[in-house]
Amino acid sequence: MIIFAVLSGFGLAFLAPAICRWAKERSGWWLAILPFALTLYFFSLLPGLAEGEVQSLALAWSKELGLTFSFRADGLSLAFALLVGGVGALVAVYAGGYFGTKAPVERFYFWLFFFMASMLGVVLADNVILLFVFWELTSLSSFMLIGFEHDRNEARTAAIQALLVTASGGLVMLAGFVLLAQIGGSWELSSLVLRGENVRANPLYLAVLFLILIGAFTKSAQFPFHFWLPNAMQAPTPVSTYLHAATMVKAGVYLLARLYPVLGGTPIWLWAVGGVGAATMVLGGALALSQTDMKRLLAYSTISALGSLVMAIGIGSETALKAMVLFLLAHGLYKGTLFLVTGSVDHESGTRDVRHLGGLRRAMPYTATGSTLAALSMAGVPLFLGFVAKEYLYEAAYKVGALWITLVFLGALLNVLIAFRVGVAPFWLPAPAESGLPKRPHEAPWSMVVGPLVLGALSLILGVFPQVLGSVLVAPALSAAAGERLEVKLAAWHGVNEIFLLSLLTLGLGIGLFAIRNDVQRIAARLALPWGLDTLYQRTLDGLFALASLQTRVLQHGYLRYYLITIIVAVVGITAGGLFRWGGGSLPHLSLDLRFYELGIAIIIVLAGGVAVLSRSRLGAVAALGVAGYGVASIYLLFGAPDLAMTQFLIESLTVVLFVLAFYHLPNFAQLTPKRERMRDVVIALITGGLMTTFVFVAGGIQIHPSISQFFVENSLPLAHGRNIVNVILVDFRGLDTLGEITVLGIAGIGVFALLKLRMDQHPAKGGRPAQAGTKGGKE
Amino acid sequence: MWADRLAVLPVIVIGAWAVLLTVADLYIPEHRRRITAILAALGLIVGLVVNLFIQRHNPQTAYFGLAIADGFSSFLNVLFLLSGLLGIAVAHGYLQRQNIARSEYYSLLLFSISGMMLMGMAADLIIVFIALELLSIPLYVMAGFHRDRLDSEEAALKYFLLGAFAGGFVVYGIALIYGATGSTRIAAILSAVQSGSASPILLTVGAALILVGLGFKVAAVPFHMWTPDVYQGAPSSVTAFMAVGAKAAGFAALLRVFLLAFPTLSDKLVPLLWALAALTMIVGNIVAIVQSNIKRLLAYSSIAHAGYILMATVTLGQSRLMADAAAAALFYLLAYLLTNFGAWAVVIALEREEGKGLSIQDYAGLGKKYPALAAAMSVFMLSLIGVPPTVGFLGKFYLFRAVLEGGFVGLAVIGVLTSLVSAYYYLRVVVVMYMQEGEPVVNRDALLHWTAALSAIAVLALSLFATPLFQWATQATLYAAQ
Repeated sequence: MIIFAVLSGFGLAFLAPAICRWAKERSGWWLAILPFALTLYFFSLLPGLAEGEVQSLALAWSKELGLTFSFRADGLSLAFALLVGGVGALVAVYAGGYFGTKAPVERFYFWLFFFMASMLGVVLADNVILLFVFWELTSLSSFMLIGFEHDRNEARTAAIQALLVTASGGLVMLAGFVLLAQIGGSWELSSLVLRGENVRANPLYLAVLFLILIGAFTKSAQFPFHFWLPNAMQAPTPVSTYLHAATMVKAGVYLLARLYPVLGGTPIWLWAVGGVGAATMVLGGALALSQTDMKRLLAYSTISALGSLVMAIGIGSETALKAMVLFLLAHGLYKGTLFLVTGSVDHESGTRDVRHLGGLRRAMPYTATGSTLAALSMAGVPLFLGFVAKEYLYEAAYKVGALWITLVFLGALLNVLIAFRVGVAPFWLPAPAESGLPKRPHEAPWSMVVGPLVLGALSLILGVFPQVLGSVLVAPALSAAAGERLEVKLAAWHGVNEIFLLSLLTLGLGIGLFAIRNDVQRIAARLALPWGLDTLYQRTLDGLFALASLQTRVLQHGYLRYYLITIIVAVVGITAGGLFRWGGGSLPHLSLDLRFYELGIAIIIVLAGGVAVLSRSRLGAVAALGVAGYGVASIYLLFGAPDLAMTQFLIESLTVVLFVLAFYHLPNFAQLTPKRERMRDVVIALITGGLMTTFVFVAGGIQIHPSISQFFVENSLPLAHGRNIVNVILVDFRGLDTLGEITVLGIAGIGVFALLKLRMDQHPAKGGRPAQAGTKGGKE
Repeated sequence: MWADRLAVLPVIVIGAWAVLLTVADLYIPEHRRRITAILAALGLIVGLVVNLFIQRHNPQTAYFGLAIADGFSSFLNVLFLLSGLLGIAVAHGYLQRQNIARSEYYSLLLFSISGMMLMGMAADLIIVFIALELLSIPLYVMAGFHRDRLDSEEAALKYFLLGAFAGGFVVYGIALIYGATGSTRIAAILSAVQSGSASPILLTVGAALILVGLGFKVAAVPFHMWTPDVYQGAPSSVTAFMAVGAKAAGFAALLRVFLLAFPTLSDKLVPLLWALAALTMIVGNIVAIVQSNIKRLLAYSSIAHAGYILMATVTLGQSRLMADAAAAALFYLLAYLLTNFGAWAVVIALEREEGKGLSIQDYAGLGKKYPALAAAMSVFMLSLIGVPPTVGFLGKFYLFRAVLEGGFVGLAVIGVLTSLVSAYYYLRVVVVMYMQEGEPVVNRDALLHWTAALSAIAVLALSLFATPLFQWATQATLYAAQ
């Protein structure tokens, strides 16, 4: 059943275009049926959890790689799954009104449900690799949805940025998963959770931790990877609501909570996870100060909220985890509402700039109601779910230390300001006199009102009766995150204590800040620093491009001769390295008992080589090469290898002849290369030659088989009945070689004849068409 | 004697078929070119059937240990024959459209495949060299098949000259190894090395020189410079075949020779292989970013993938892992074969005369006008990045896992990060197809569209039902001939 919950989402994605064509403007309502049904299904699983029944399923995928299709729905998974399904249904309905029938809604719904299914996969998967697969699929669908309005350049850039950041984090995380599975001995989260002790004691623990943290931090927009999230606001508002506020960005939080029993509880965990979370929480709120766009304001507050969640997991106490689960739900409800409201406001009034908006209460009463409820919850006003969550967060931080509670206080304060600026001011404050709105506002269609109203109302209802949540959802989720069974009793009211007073103080100061919001915004805008990885990201991209072009200029210029030089230099580097670093042994002793004619031949060869290099005429160079070749052949002859000498003589003669034939087609011989390049060539040639000489010396010192010449001398008469040893070698001992050579020569002769004939045939007919084939044939 | 012939029967079949096809072609009229193509494909199918029948799990050496038929060679034979079939499928219509339909194309293809198959079976360095030449020389000719076009001629000449140069290094390396160990048989080299009688200098240098030659064939950096020029200049159907077949053959030799003959040199060779793999991944992926021509883009992509497969060789010396790494490399090659041929089929479908239609910009609007083709191309791009659920992901995962188990975390991280860089340029193709307006022109060529469609389906389906493939790859163990 649980696998169908995931697969049905993919099925719906593929059916969505057809449903859109059939249902026209009502398609949003029809498409919401499945997410809604899924939400109900996840609800139906909750009661069983209290009795310890966990739905799970495993299908074989590829055992060799440790891959299984295994799903598991415990409390933590269900808390996220409920959010994914519920918000998904409301967003589907909302998008129907938001897009109308103008935009290519088919494509939108396809990717939306593709995302929903992948996200359900992330939170329900038990196998870490399966989780990774779904993780990357959410990145992919996020990419497609951010770039939905692809005719705008900013949308495309933002889409690529978000993908590169989150998908790369995912890949790094995969490396972490592989290591984790190795030291934990399992690919299944459910069994890894039981082996936390072993994992934490392993020397690779730190590597695993950091690799996985990078994945979680990039996905959940934690400092310093937070920069992609505000840019992702280029997406249509329903997408921002669903992916970049309520669900996808929480995947990292989910992962951290899920792995807390495996990796958490160490001092490094507190500082790496809690510290980054706290920093993100404050930074997100601070960066929001200078913003005026409702969506960007919300994006920064989302970063801040994600920071709080990560911080709570980092602290990891029971209260902290409880605060995390509560805040997760509270944030999903209020932030979802505010994003939807932003979309409606933008849709109906034509702007999202908070400086221009005001007095929308009368035109949009229902939207205003939903928005206000959500904003109050976000600000942490008593009786709202946001308040309950914030109380627990304060309590958790209170127990750790003064620094933490100060940070939480700062983050909360900034969020109060944002809540009022986005959720309250546009509706309740009078419109600024000087600016008219681009459109005359009126209430949004029903489909766009349902979402904000439902979510906003839930923020209040659950805030008043948190005990409903306590046993049904928070307890199982908490137990899963903490790794042990825990009971939870929640109350809306804890009495008047320090923490309650702190909450009131936060609220009061926040409203005070709100009163001077315009000054705050101006000051912050002036202070805004060009910091963050956003610049680094851009620089890295530019750098890669520059590097690539540089490589093309330096190595990929298309000149064959430089390709050859590169290869030679690489070979010399590799072999010389091998020789001097690993060779170890000294060179064998050289005996220089040369006979005078050997020395003579050697001198001739060297001189011929010099002439070949220095000659100004091509013919001279070739002739000199021929002399060198003949010299080598004579040495073969002197040392008793007549067959080899014979072949060498033939080849040398043939080469010279072919060269001469080819000259006819070659351009004039000229010194084209400048002196510096020639010097470089000399150096390379000398080094290469020196190295080869060394090899010859080394090889010369080795004798594996006994010399074969004695065998020929002894056996040529008795075995082959021949007195001329050279003849016997050529036609008997190495008869097959000779046959092969004859064959090759024969075939080459036929080829040359064919080419010549071709040329003769062509000449009279086509008149002077150069027969390039002729020269090519010569080379083969 | 008959057992020997039976062991290498697949090679004999393809080689003989190529000879017969050359002769038979003389009697096939010009306007019936199709028959030649069909006959060539038939030969490959016969080869596949033969290979299937003699497939064995206990290795069988042939001709005094010169060649060996084992699971490894049998897997590779399928790979080569499959790439031949796909190579014919993408070539047939293309050659006619480009006006270069000459039927020796198919015999050359078969000759080259017989060389590749021999490479997979080689148990002696001399056979490695012969196979290398046998597979390369037809490719040199095929690269220059577009005789009227200068870039095709340039490609052929560059490939030939540099290839001959690299071949020289292989021979030199073989000679040095013979000098060190007194044999060119892989098994004999191994025992000589183990007994300690071999000269370590000559052995290491010889191995390094062989690595240079084979590195050239698989397009590893810094021996890769020919690749973009040749891939771009050669007719696209040749490039598609070359990118898969020649690379796989190079890796066949690399894996067999290095993993089997030089495990004791691991302390000297592993740093070299490590550096080669890292450099290849980095350069291939980074340079690909700036390419605007799809053929050049795929050329750099093929360099980058050579780097990934090279990672398998760093497990050299860790006997427990080597089999796993070799299996991972084989699986990766198969994944690359399917993905790459699919991508080239799309490229060829869009290529028009005079080399038009090859810019990435020419893909604008493909998503709207030809949704199926664009979807297939997206699948291939995702598979080349290694994004699930494609077979490319499984291949990468399998490889990375083997490398991580070998303790090469740094190399794996480089692999992961360069994959990330690759996402940028592969996705650019997807972005252009779906997010930009344009009027793409697509050739009507049923074979091409089928190739693309079937490859795309295979790339997706095999990622979900990969178990038999894995089993097959893991059984494809390497054996040294005794």
